[in-house]
Amino acid sequence: MSIQIENLSFSYLQPSGEKVDALKNVSFTIETGDFVGIMGPTGSGKTTLLQLLAGLRLPTSGRIYFNGEEINAKGYDRNRLRQTVGVVFQDPEYQLFATTVEKDVAFGLKESGLSRQEATDRVRWALETMGFDFEKVRNQSPLALSGGEKRRVAIAGVIARKPEILIFDEPIAGLDPFGRENFLQFVTERNQTGTTIIMTSHNMEALAEYTKHLLVLKEGRLIDAGATREVFTRLKQRYNGAFQTKAQRIAILLAEGKLMFSPAVVTYGDLLSALKQELTGGGRG
Amino acid sequence: MLVEGKNICYSYAFGGFSFALRDVDLNIARGEFVAILGCNGSGKSTLVKHLNALLQLQQGELKVAQIDVRNEKEVWLLRRRCGMVFQNPDHQFVAPVVEEDIAFGLENYEVPRNEISGRVRSALARVEMSGYEKRAPNTLSGGQKQRVALAGVLALDPEIIIFDEATAMLDPDGRQEVIKIMEKLHRAGKTIIAITHYVEEAVAADKIILMHQGRVLACGSPQTVLTNLDLMKEAELIPPFPVRLYYDLQQAGIYLNRCPLTEEELVEEICQFKSKI
Amino acid sequence: MRTLPAGQYLPGHSLLHRLDARAKILCALILMTAVIGASSLWGYTLVLVALLIPILISRLPLRPTVAAVRGMGGFLLVILLMNALFFKGETVLASWGIIQLSHEGIKQGFRIVSNVVLILIIGNLLTMTTLPTQVATALESLIKPLKLIGVPTEEVAMIISVAIQFIPTLMEATELIKMAQIARGARFESKKLSERAVSFLPLVVPVFISAFRRAEELSLAMEARGYRNAKNRTRRQKEPLALHDYAALTFSVLICLIQFLLQR
Repeated sequence: MSIQIENLSFSYLQPSGEKVDALKNVSFTIETGDFVGIMGPTGSGKTTLLQLLAGLRLPTSGRIYFNGEEINAKGYDRNRLRQTVGVVFQDPEYQLFATTVEKDVAFGLKESGLSRQEATDRVRWALETMGFDFEKVRNQSPLALSGGEKRRVAIAGVIARKPEILIFDEPIAGLDPFGRENFLQFVTERNQTGTTIIMTSHNMEALAEYTKHLLVLKEGRLIDAGATREVFTRLKQRYNGAFQTKAQRIAILLAEGKLMFSPAVVTYGDLLSALKQELTGGGRG
Repeated sequence: MLVEGKNICYSYAFGGFSFALRDVDLNIARGEFVAILGCNGSGKSTLVKHLNALLQLQQGELKVAQIDVRNEKEVWLLRRRCGMVFQNPDHQFVAPVVEEDIAFGLENYEVPRNEISGRVRSALARVEMSGYEKRAPNTLSGGQKQRVALAGVLALDPEIIIFDEATAMLDPDGRQEVIKIMEKLHRAGKTIIAITHYVEEAVAADKIILMHQGRVLACGSPQTVLTNLDLMKEAELIPPFPVRLYYDLQQAGIYLNRCPLTEEELVEEICQFKSKI
Repeated sequence: MRTLPAGQYLPGHSLLHRLDARAKILCALILMTAVIGASSLWGYTLVLVALLIPILISRLPLRPTVAAVRGMGGFLLVILLMNALFFKGETVLASWGIIQLSHEGIKQGFRIVSNVVLILIIGNLLTMTTLPTQVATALESLIKPLKLIGVPTEEVAMIISVAIQFIPTLMEATELIKMAQIARGARFESKKLSERAVSFLPLVVPVFISAFRRAEELSLAMEARGYRNAKNRTRRQKEPLALHDYAALTFSVLICLIQFLLQR
C-alpha cells in the first residue's frame, strides 16, 4: 500500500478563539513496505499527522491517497480504510475494555468476515506474536495484567486485523531499555513481512538504527524528508544540537579535537567501526 | 543522615505474595544528589513514595529529616520538607491557572494570604518561568509543565526534592530543561532524589542506588555502578553510550586509559589514546 | 475544524471577568429566575436583549456557545415537537388520533426550548468568565449558611473546584480513546442506533478506567503537596463587593422585576 500526501493542512480553534495551524502544507510519499520515522518536538504536529493518515480526522485542506485512491473522497469505503490501517496511540493500555484478553483482541475482527475458527486462530497468532502464551492468557481479565502486558495486548488487538499499514505514536516513550529493544525488534519483524510501519519518536537512536526513511516536522511544517541516514547528516548541518544522535555528537566533538571523521557517522555501529579504523592506524576495520 | 531507612519491605495488596520491596536499606545525606536507577517494576517508584508517606511503611524503619514516617501526626510536616514532582505532567495540576496551582501547596500550609503571591513569583523565577503566572497549564509544553509543577514544590522551600520519573514523558528539549533546573537546585544545596531508567541522567549524580526486583543491587558512585557490565545486565539496563563504546573498543584490542561516563570524557580519552600512537 | 468544549474558562480582562464571582453567581441565578418567570415572547426577548449587554462586554467568542446550542438542536426539536403534538390544548389546529397540534402546545414547546437555550447561555457566560477556583470559593461563601445544618461546606467547595478542573482533561482523554477504538473498527460513526448502543462499552470502560487513574494520581499529587482537608487552608480574601458588582446585581434584579411586571 503506497501512501501519497498532497498539501495536507490541519487547523483548529483555540480557547481564545484564535486559529492554530497544526499542519501546514505537508506533502510526501511512502512506498509499500517502508519503515518511516517521524520526528520533531512536542507540538510539531506529529500526532495530528498520524490521525490524518489513519483517516480519523478530516484535513482542513489537501489530500491523502492510498494506492492512488483518495481516502477522504465520498465513495471510499471506511471499513476498508480501518482494515488497511492499524493505529496504536500513546498509552494503548487504556483502550482495553473487554472481560477477557481473547475477547478484547478479537474486538477488531467482528466485521472482518472471518469464521469463528479463523478468528480464534488470528487472535492466537496475534497474542503469540506479542510474546504471550495464548492458552494461559486468553481467559484472563486484561485489567489484571501489568502495565507492559496491557500494552502488548492492546498492540495484539491492532495487529490481529493484519493491517497493511501499522502506525505507532510514541511507542517507546516510558519503556525501559529492554522493553524498547523488544518492541523495536518486533516492529522490524513486522516490517520484514511486508507491513508498512510509521512511527513517531523522540528517541534519536531508535530512529537512526531502525527506520528506513524519516520525516522531520517543526511547527507544523515538514522541514526535511528522505532516507534516514541522509536526513540525519543534513540535519546535523542545518540544526546544530537538536535532532542529533549521540554518535553524531561525539563525532562532532572528535572533529573539533582534530580527530577524524567522516560525516557519515550516524549510529553506534558507525562510530564504533570508524573509531576502530582510526585508533588502529587504519589497519584492521 | 537526612534519610535513614532500614529493612524496608512492601507488598501491594493485589500483588499476592510477591514483594515490591525486599529489605531495602537507604541512606541519603543532606545536599546529596542521588539517582535511583532501575527498569520498570524494579520497585524504585514504590520506594520513594515511602519517603513522603504516600505509601505506608509496612515493615522496617524509615526516618526522613528526623521524622519517623509512621508518625501520622507529623506526616503533614514531613511533606513540606520533602517535595515531589510526578511523572505525568498533565495529572498533577489542581488549578487551571499557573499561579493558582502553585499557591495550592502554600494554602495547604496556611501561609498568610499576603505572602502567597510573592512566593509564587519567586518560585516561578527559580524554574525560569517568570511571566507565566496567568497561563493555563494545558497551553504549556511538557518541559514547562514539569517546571511549573516543580515551582509548586519549591514555593514551600523543601529540603528534599524527589523527581519520580519526571522526565520520562518529555521530548529531548523538555528533558534538558528539567535536568538543568535539577542540577541548579543541587548546586544551591538541595537534596535531590531522581528516579529514572535513563542511565544518562544518573551520570551526574553523587550516588546511584541500583534497584532490581524490589532489591538494592548496588549503591555507589556512577563510576563504580555504571561501568560494571555484569551489574547493569543483572539490572536489565543498558550501560551509558560511552561505557558501551569503551568495552566494545576493548574487544577490538583498543584499551582506553579509563572508562568514560560522559561524551566529553570519552572524547578526551580517545584524544589521549590517539596522541600516544 | 475541532471546536471547543462549551463553557470552558477563557482568560480575559473584561468587566465581566473582573466581577466578583459571588455577584456573578447571584446575577446568573436571578437572570435564570427571570427566564423561568417569562410568560410571553416579550419576556424572552427582554432577557435575550438584556443578555446582549454582558455578552458584548465580555468580548467572548460566540462560536463555542452557538455550537453547543446547535449540538442540542435535535434534542430541542424533539422537545418542541413532543410538546406541540401531545400537549392537550384548547385551540386545536389539527389532529390525528391522539396526536393533536394545538396553539398552546406550540407555545409550551417554545417556552421550554427558550428556557433551555437561555439558561445555557447564562451558565456559559458564568463559567467562561469565572475561574473554577473562583466559582468554588464563591460557592463556599454562598453555601456557608448550610453549615448550620451540618453540611461540610469547605469540602463541598473543594470537590466542586477539582471536578470542574477535571472536565477538560477527561474530554480530551475521551476523544483519544474514541479515536483508538474507531481505528480498531468500533462503529461510533454508524448511523444505526443499535450499532451505536453496542459500541458504547468500548468507550465507557476505558474512559472510566483512565478517569480513575487520573483521579488517583491527582489525589496522590494533592497529598504530596500537603493537602489534609479543606478546612485548614489559607483563607481566600473576602473582598467586599465593589461598585460594579452592585451595579450588575441591580441590573439583574431590574430585569427580573420587569419580567414579573410584564406578566400582569
